[in-house]
Amino acid sequence: MKDKSLVQIALYAALIAALGLIPPVPFLTGIPITAQTLGVMLAGVMLGPWRGFLSMALFIFVVALGAPLLSGGRGGLGVFVGPTAGFAIGFPFAAFATGWVAERLKRLPVFAAALIGSIVGGILLLYVFGITGFKLVTGNDWLRSTQIMAVYIPGDLVKTVITAIVAQAVYKGMPSAVATR
Amino acid sequence: MISLYVQRQTWLHRMPAGAKLIGLAAVSVALYPVTTAWWLLPVLIAVAGAYASLGPGGLARLWIVKPLVPMFVLIVGLQWWTQSLNAALVLLQRMLIVIWLANLVTLTTRMEAMMEAVMPLLTPLKWFRVDPARVAFAVALLVRFVPVLMAVMLNLLEAWKARGGGRQVWRLAIPMMINAIRMSDHVSEALAARGGVHSR
Amino acid sequence: MSEQPNQNHQQADPTVVLDRVSLLRDNQPVLHDFTVRLTEHRIGLVGNNGSGKSSLVRLLNGLLQPATGSVRVGDQDPSDGPESMASQVGFIFQNPDHQLIFPTVQEELTFGLKNLGLSRSEAESRAQACLREHEREDWADRPVHSLSEGQKQLVCILAVLVMQPQLIVLDEPFSALDLPTRWHLLDWMHSLPQQLLMISHDLDTLTDFDRILWLEDGRLRGDGHPNDILPAYREACRGQEGRL
Repeated sequence: MKDKSLVQIALYAALIAALGLIPPVPFLTGIPITAQTLGVMLAGVMLGPWRGFLSMALFIFVVALGAPLLSGGRGGLGVFVGPTAGFAIGFPFAAFATGWVAERLKRLPVFAAALIGSIVGGILLLYVFGITGFKLVTGNDWLRSTQIMAVYIPGDLVKTVITAIVAQAVYKGMPSAVATR
Repeated sequence: MISLYVQRQTWLHRMPAGAKLIGLAAVSVALYPVTTAWWLLPVLIAVAGAYASLGPGGLARLWIVKPLVPMFVLIVGLQWWTQSLNAALVLLQRMLIVIWLANLVTLTTRMEAMMEAVMPLLTPLKWFRVDPARVAFAVALLVRFVPVLMAVMLNLLEAWKARGGGRQVWRLAIPMMINAIRMSDHVSEALAARGGVHSR
Repeated sequence: MSEQPNQNHQQADPTVVLDRVSLLRDNQPVLHDFTVRLTEHRIGLVGNNGSGKSSLVRLLNGLLQPATGSVRVGDQDPSDGPESMASQVGFIFQNPDHQLIFPTVQEELTFGLKNLGLSRSEAESRAQACLREHEREDWADRPVHSLSEGQKQLVCILAVLVMQPQLIVLDEPFSALDLPTRWHLLDWMHSLPQQLLMISHDLDTLTDFDRILWLEDGRLRGDGHPNDILPAYREACRGQEGRL
């Protein structure tokens, strides 16, 4: 891997931390939408599957080392043993899947490719991790775990749309910034 | 600013990072067979005692779980309703103990010490032709650029508010993204000018 | 390339030679058949944006490669790439935040030295010696983000000086600094033994230099003493005032 990719991966991970500063917007279900999870899907679209994966892996690695980089200043090992641990662990895989799908959909407009990629990576795959984590930590069965976690899906669907809007806007402003094109 | 580490010298600070990590793993596993709520209470109290031993403000750090409270209520309520009060309390205490212990390791271990403790775990990366030294470099770069990009973010938030702002504040993700990509071009150039990252 | 850091770069032949160099960026010509020989201690580089200044200096450490012609810095050829030039040519960029890549001052200073093949302890003692020499010993463990803009730029320069290059290239190093900091750093840099090549839009900072190059559209429009070139450049800029 070249130095340039290494720098991109690290700076993108730092960007995700900075996005955590955007104040959360309360959504219908009362669950706040943070811009940070947007960043996970955007990592896949912007950096492509591999660098997106590595950048998110670096991000959660440094969170585990004790840096409070998650939105709201959360961090440390506690994040990885709580009921939502699966989501944090799933970040790199979600970014990978988002990027992989978006790359396969090059023929579609950026908006559509980013939207479909985000739904596959940022919702379908990420929830497999999230629900599994919840099930392991709380001992609930699959059905109940899925039902509880499903509360977050409407908010996350909104995020996939926002991801697509952001990806499209960045592509317009700086086409070279979108690696999955 | 970029660490949860609490600068102090307690017995927990002096313990090697590796030992703390192994202890954390051992406790988490040992808790699983326990099915009686009462048995977990002394463990919970011991954990709270460990926080108290951090000195003034130590106990207040237990509030780390505050964002999880709504979820705890939901989980415990469900467990009580579908199984029993005992099962609900076992689950709640187990989650609290593990989260608090994990956080205790974070509070009392420097990031560098933690990094050194986990470095051996990164050795398998060599099989994928990833040099652990490059991982360490990436970590340093991330730690360095978090405050830089956070400052950019705060400037943008100020500009956003100064111009009326509004609810669609997520739009700031667009200039942030472009900023970060431009910055990474500059940084790679500066890195090359200084000889690049050498792998050994 | 030899892995041994040369202790005596300052004494090495301080000559930069560009011989009939032309340079393309994104298939656009940036420099045309450019020839210059630089032996003076302090050289300023002026010209409007897009005139080729930044490209010119990036030839000197191999960040850019010429399409035709040759470049020589001392006895080195930068076409081997920036890795082999890092110990000869120190580069200071406009924004210190783009250049400082480590969380603490100490790590920043030892990075380049470790690249030269020095062991960790050797690199650390050289870094400390450098800080001591410039009366900044207490900075070693400071987090970089806690420094002021001027202090950050100073760390950038120290990180370059610790490598003992023969030439220091500065690409608008002062544009983010206030005037007192600007003059303070400038005075300090005048005391350095290294050859300096500095791009600046602040012509006042160049008046004490030994030689000024004025670039326009990738060619030398003026070359000589600051007393001759700076007023001429200023005059030409006045004449160009127009629509943005």
